[in-house]
Amino acid sequence: MQHQDNGIWVSADDLNREETFLKSAEKEFLLEDLAEAPGSWTPSRRDFLKLMGFGLGAATVAASCEIPMRKAIPYVVKPDAIVPGVANYYASSFVNGSDYCAVLVKTREGRPIKIEGNTLSSVTAGGTSARAQALVLSLYDTRRLKHPGKIEEGGELKKLSWKDLDERIKGQLQLGGNIRIITHTIISPTAQKALSEFVAKYPNTRVVTYDPVSHAALLAANQACFGVRGIPTYKFAEADVIVSFGADFLGTWVSPIEHARAYASRRKIQSLDKPAMSRHYQVESHMSLTGSNADMRIQIRPSEMGAAICALYNEVAQYAGAPTISGPALNEKAKAGIKKAAADLISLRGRSLVVCGTNNVMEQIIVNKINDLLGNINNTIDFSVLNNLHQGDERDMMRLIGEMDAGQVAIAIVWGANPAYELPNADKFKAAFAKVNTRISFSGVMDETTALCTYAAPAHHLLESWGDAEPKTGHYSLIQPTIAPLFDTRQAELSLLEWAESPNLNREDEQPYYQYLKSHWATEMRAKQSKYSTGAAFWDMSLHDGVFEVPPTPRTVSFNPGISLNAASVTQPGSAPVEIAFYEAINIGNGQYAHNPWLQEMPDPVNRTVWGNYLSIPVEWDGNKKMTGWMGLQDGDKVEVEVNGKKHICTVVRTFGQTPGTVAIALGGGRESGGCGVGYGVNVNPWLPIEGGFIQYFAKEVKVSGKIGAEKNFACVQHHHTMGLAAKDEKSGQVINADEQVLAYQGSLTDRSIIFQAHVNDLPKLREKLADFHKHAGHLNEQTLYPDRTDFFGTGPKWGMFIDMNACIGCGACQVACVSENNVPVVGKNEVGRHHEMTWLRIDRYYYGDLDNPKVVYQPMMCQHCDNAPCENVCPVNATNHSAEGINQMAYNRCIGTRYCANNCPYKVRRFNWLDYTTADTFPANEERLFRVEEGDIPFYADNLVRMVLNPDVTVRSRGVIEKCSFCIQRIQEGKLTAKREGRPLEDNDVRSACQTACPTGAIVFGNLNNPNSAVSQAIRKHEELAYQVLEEINVRPGVRYSAKIYNS
Amino acid sequence: MLLKRFCRIVPFFTLAVSLLQAAPNVEEGKSLFMANCASCHSRDMKTNLTGPALGGVEERWAAYPREDLYKWIRASQAMIQSGHPRAVELWNQWKPTLMNNFPGLTDDQIESILLYVNDVVNKAAAGSQASQSGQQVTAAQKDDSSFWIFVGIAVVLGLLSFALMRIVDNLQNLARVQAGQPPVRRTLGQMLTTKGSIAFGVFAATLIFGYKTVDNATRMGRQQGYQPEQPIAFSHALHAGTVKIDCQYCHDSARRSKHASIPGANTCMNCHTVVKKGAVSGTAEITKIYASIGYDPIANKYIPDYENWTEKQIEELYKKWIGQEYMADNGLVTLNDAGRMVVETQWEGIVKALKNDSNGKIQGPIEWVRIHNLADHAYFNHAQHVAVGQVACQQCHGPVEQMEEVYQYSTLGMGWCINCHRQTEVKFKDNDYYQQYARYHEELKSGKRDKVTVADIGGLECQKCHY
Repeated sequence: MQHQDNGIWVSADDLNREETFLKSAEKEFLLEDLAEAPGSWTPSRRDFLKLMGFGLGAATVAASCEIPMRKAIPYVVKPDAIVPGVANYYASSFVNGSDYCAVLVKTREGRPIKIEGNTLSSVTAGGTSARAQALVLSLYDTRRLKHPGKIEEGGELKKLSWKDLDERIKGQLQLGGNIRIITHTIISPTAQKALSEFVAKYPNTRVVTYDPVSHAALLAANQACFGVRGIPTYKFAEADVIVSFGADFLGTWVSPIEHARAYASRRKIQSLDKPAMSRHYQVESHMSLTGSNADMRIQIRPSEMGAAICALYNEVAQYAGAPTISGPALNEKAKAGIKKAAADLISLRGRSLVVCGTNNVMEQIIVNKINDLLGNINNTIDFSVLNNLHQGDERDMMRLIGEMDAGQVAIAIVWGANPAYELPNADKFKAAFAKVNTRISFSGVMDETTALCTYAAPAHHLLESWGDAEPKTGHYSLIQPTIAPLFDTRQAELSLLEWAESPNLNREDEQPYYQYLKSHWATEMRAKQSKYSTGAAFWDMSLHDGVFEVPPTPRTVSFNPGISLNAASVTQPGSAPVEIAFYEAINIGNGQYAHNPWLQEMPDPVNRTVWGNYLSIPVEWDGNKKMTGWMGLQDGDKVEVEVNGKKHICTVVRTFGQTPGTVAIALGGGRESGGCGVGYGVNVNPWLPIEGGFIQYFAKEVKVSGKIGAEKNFACVQHHHTMGLAAKDEKSGQVINADEQVLAYQGSLTDRSIIFQAHVNDLPKLREKLADFHKHAGHLNEQTLYPDRTDFFGTGPKWGMFIDMNACIGCGACQVACVSENNVPVVGKNEVGRHHEMTWLRIDRYYYGDLDNPKVVYQPMMCQHCDNAPCENVCPVNATNHSAEGINQMAYNRCIGTRYCANNCPYKVRRFNWLDYTTADTFPANEERLFRVEEGDIPFYADNLVRMVLNPDVTVRSRGVIEKCSFCIQRIQEGKLTAKREGRPLEDNDVRSACQTACPTGAIVFGNLNNPNSAVSQAIRKHEELAYQVLEEINVRPGVRYSAKIYNS
Repeated sequence: MLLKRFCRIVPFFTLAVSLLQAAPNVEEGKSLFMANCASCHSRDMKTNLTGPALGGVEERWAAYPREDLYKWIRASQAMIQSGHPRAVELWNQWKPTLMNNFPGLTDDQIESILLYVNDVVNKAAAGSQASQSGQQVTAAQKDDSSFWIFVGIAVVLGLLSFALMRIVDNLQNLARVQAGQPPVRRTLGQMLTTKGSIAFGVFAATLIFGYKTVDNATRMGRQQGYQPEQPIAFSHALHAGTVKIDCQYCHDSARRSKHASIPGANTCMNCHTVVKKGAVSGTAEITKIYASIGYDPIANKYIPDYENWTEKQIEELYKKWIGQEYMADNGLVTLNDAGRMVVETQWEGIVKALKNDSNGKIQGPIEWVRIHNLADHAYFNHAQHVAVGQVACQQCHGPVEQMEEVYQYSTLGMGWCINCHRQTEVKFKDNDYYQQYARYHEELKSGKRDKVTVADIGGLECQKCHY
């Protein structure tokens, strides 16, 4: 081998001095090898970086050149009252048939966006209902009729001008045929005046009034017994014992907002030593909202109602020495319950109250007699102030159908009613209605009846109208428009006056009906008061206050001695194995509100279903540690239900408290036209029997098939967002999921501190138990790694809430108020079925007590704003963190959607935007799945009209972020700013959360915990011994406190 | 084009005219005017103050001998009593205001004053025409249809590059075959995954990413220095700077609302029923306000059914007004070509500024271009800062009182907000609201703390601005 001088080498190639080696040694980077096929571009790294740099620079320059132009458009002449960015509140009234609520309408830049209660009204006293809260959304309904017109075959609206329409209709009216105006109850004095002018002009006119859910028998009974065709004021606040025969007086019966406040005032524990709680018996077959609040539910079959009433009468009569009657037989268990109720009633006579929700005159008469014997008439039942909300009589309507069928009616005007859907004999109505020559509808949407009409004269939405109301004798209330009419509509009253060629109408005026109303008030109402001497002052103050109340003239009534009680006329128990009860839904009524998505998505308080009506079936004990549905049915199973030969396929939901041998279903489902409620649920109105002219809300016989399928998108929120209830099976030691195993029979099986409940007589025991619990939890919580943050929260305000579960009746007003205030999206039935509902505030319903007939406690559950919030620790991007004011903050723009926080939240109150519910982001791909796009729907909130309902102070969240209750941070900030600007300390009234203002019973108190004199601090102090925090033992230190539920059975 | 050129000539022309007339005592006229006349007569010669605007005074007296005008200036009251028709006319118009006597003014001095008056009027006219022509030049129409042209070009170029690649391949294969090697045919996939293609892809992605980033930042209001052209050349330098109108006189909701808000035209009219012509722009800009709200500057009243007016009617009225003022300013009895040009140009300006795209109407609000566009997810409240924090407007908006055209002074970025919240001291002692911060009050008293900043009371917390 040849020797080399240098002595080192790198490789064999080196040693060989091969050509390739020499060539590569020549150059540091052998670019040829990296290069590809000749012809392609071979940039160096430096070139690449240059290009990238250039690219980025160029892009920046290009982007900056083109700034999107946004306009700032001021008023031409700025109205004095409007300051952009500051809300105005206008006093008005929510009136829809039998619903009434005095409200304040919050407007921003001329758009109504929120309803608040009007505290000046003594009827509703600042309380609201879910229906009132949802009013604003219906204003922005995309399906509202946009102009008047002729309705062609197939329901198409061919546009006419108002002038054309008026001429055509006046031409018809003057022909002299019989005219009938079909309405729900009209409580507006001025509208009545307009009607009477119309009747005076066309004397062959008759106004036919019926109610979507009838109270006609009650009216007839009061006429017979007391000579007053009216509904008295029931003073629930003064009643120590309440017995209700199927009257859902907290949810739907007569005047629920008013009742709720009075009722709750006697359910709140005023002092532990002297609770002064009323006792409430509810006699019913399915669990109504009112029944769920009762101390004792007496379970009967719907057809046993008459028997139950007779039984109570006999007990009371025996005591009072009145003749007894021989009513039908009642089941033994109910009989015992009635006996107990009777004993209570008798011992507290004069301070008790018996109410009855059936539509049977004799039953109502007997109940009147019971009240008479107990001395409740003129005491807890006051006839000096009558409730005007129900004046309808379906017998009138039946007569009208006869007239129409006989061709005696030339013109029918439908005002606010929807008989083609609401009547049990809608088919007959439709056939007869078709024989009327000219059919005119004032409806704002193309509902079932309007589609059958020849002319549509769409009325303004309530929020665009002038008007007044007299919900109760001497309680007047004004309606004022809060937005200019969105479409070419006209007030119904104005149309009537126009057609009547009223001489009292100033047609030159910009708002003729406003002038008409004003002059009616100047003549009629002004005379009823003496406070304001000038008409202008009276009008201005009335309009400002929204209400005007005249002190009642006392009126006492006495029971007509000529009335004989006839037990044969009460409902006779049926013999069929299964009976069915029909009830008015809290949210959508008898379909009047079915087209309001906020209400459709508000769960039924008791069975917790949304978007439709479901068949409630009883839950049975299978004798083997398992509660099962009747006939083994599961939630979401489909069955075929037959009543009176008519069949429907219904979805079942197992409901505790449903009397065995009965089922129940809500009214209001299965709307056929007019809005987004079409296609949800089934229309059960045709199932309602009519007896003695009165619509009955039960049927004595129903056939329910076995399971024929399962609903794909069954939407019941009961098992969504449960607080991880788990318990051990005592025998096997196996951990069971309480939710799945016991059909939501929560509360009893868990050892987590969610609900505390006790009998009113056991208050000392409860006090001890809670003290022990606090001690135990306190001990656990001392072993903490969290730093002491007293200093952090110590200065400035700290926000907190107190919820009195004895006052919460579960009505859901707060939930809809929250949706309205915080731009919470509607997600639709499919999404709810997938646990994706977005509500920040849910009302959990827990059962406790007797398995067959349990009691219920409602717990409004929202973000608890824990001081040691578990969600905050797990957020990788610190999108949720704590403020010194005690608020668990959520920064949407920081959220990246890991959902760790939701996972770690013990209260399950965090909601994730799974899809683009608000069309806030730019990915339209999700929209189809939200609403039924294939049917021509667009996703909710995608339409600019609907978006007008959004609160401009609250961010609309986009897909992929978590959201939750913010304690109405926008209200807190606004309240603080008001106080700061006025240079004064913060007061309670500055900051009130949306749920708090909506609540009809004052169950929610919100405020500054650091101020010992704030309402919330006082409420907590007052209930100190009953107050607890949910899951207190896990040391999250929530900012919301609840009071234990007390019952009085 | 012709119009533009003509407009440029007009000022020279008018200047030449004034130069011809000019005896060198304009300066004297100015000092005399300031000393004797300026307390009652507007310096812009166009506005009526205590006394009438002096612009065009010579034409108004043209029907009478020059001596009458001298006499009027020296002793107007005597002349009224003597019954001179022009004097009586003026008295009827302006009574009970009386003009002082100036017996000491010589004919030459009066001529000097008149020269100065004409000088001011002519300069103003020249200025307004210049600004008009300037506006015309900048008025470039935007066209959205170019997007599809670009897309088309991109597609064509893409196809072209593909074809070129194929050609290169073919040529190489040719070379290969000639060299005796087998031809290699590249698939489309291979072509697209060459380094060059990938590099181009990365480049394009960088370009798009960069563009989108900047674009979105802009959309979030990150556009410091943004100075768009406004429909009305409203000068904050004049209104806030020279005339010293308080910011909150117009932006009145700043102290009570989250929005500072742009004032409605009715707020403008509080002054502009009197000030009917601008010092710089003459009738060009102020007439836009009138056309928006429906004010008849000739009859000095609002037009009752202005919403129903046709564009023709509006055009007639305001053209008449502009023409009339032009004639008055230039001492003309009939409108000359230059004047007609001014009228046309100003009317076009009105149409451009006010015509609503959606309903095609002149009437209605003035659509200003919004400069400060805070991102939707950030909540800002003017009242908090103006009324409670007593922050000067200039702190965020910069020296608006010096801005002829407003621009975005601050970044409006979160860092900028936070920085201020860290440094700014809360007006802690003067406002009872802050009583509740007991600990801070104690610490201030004991000297443990020397101030309370916004950050100390939670000014850095997320939900102070994001909710």
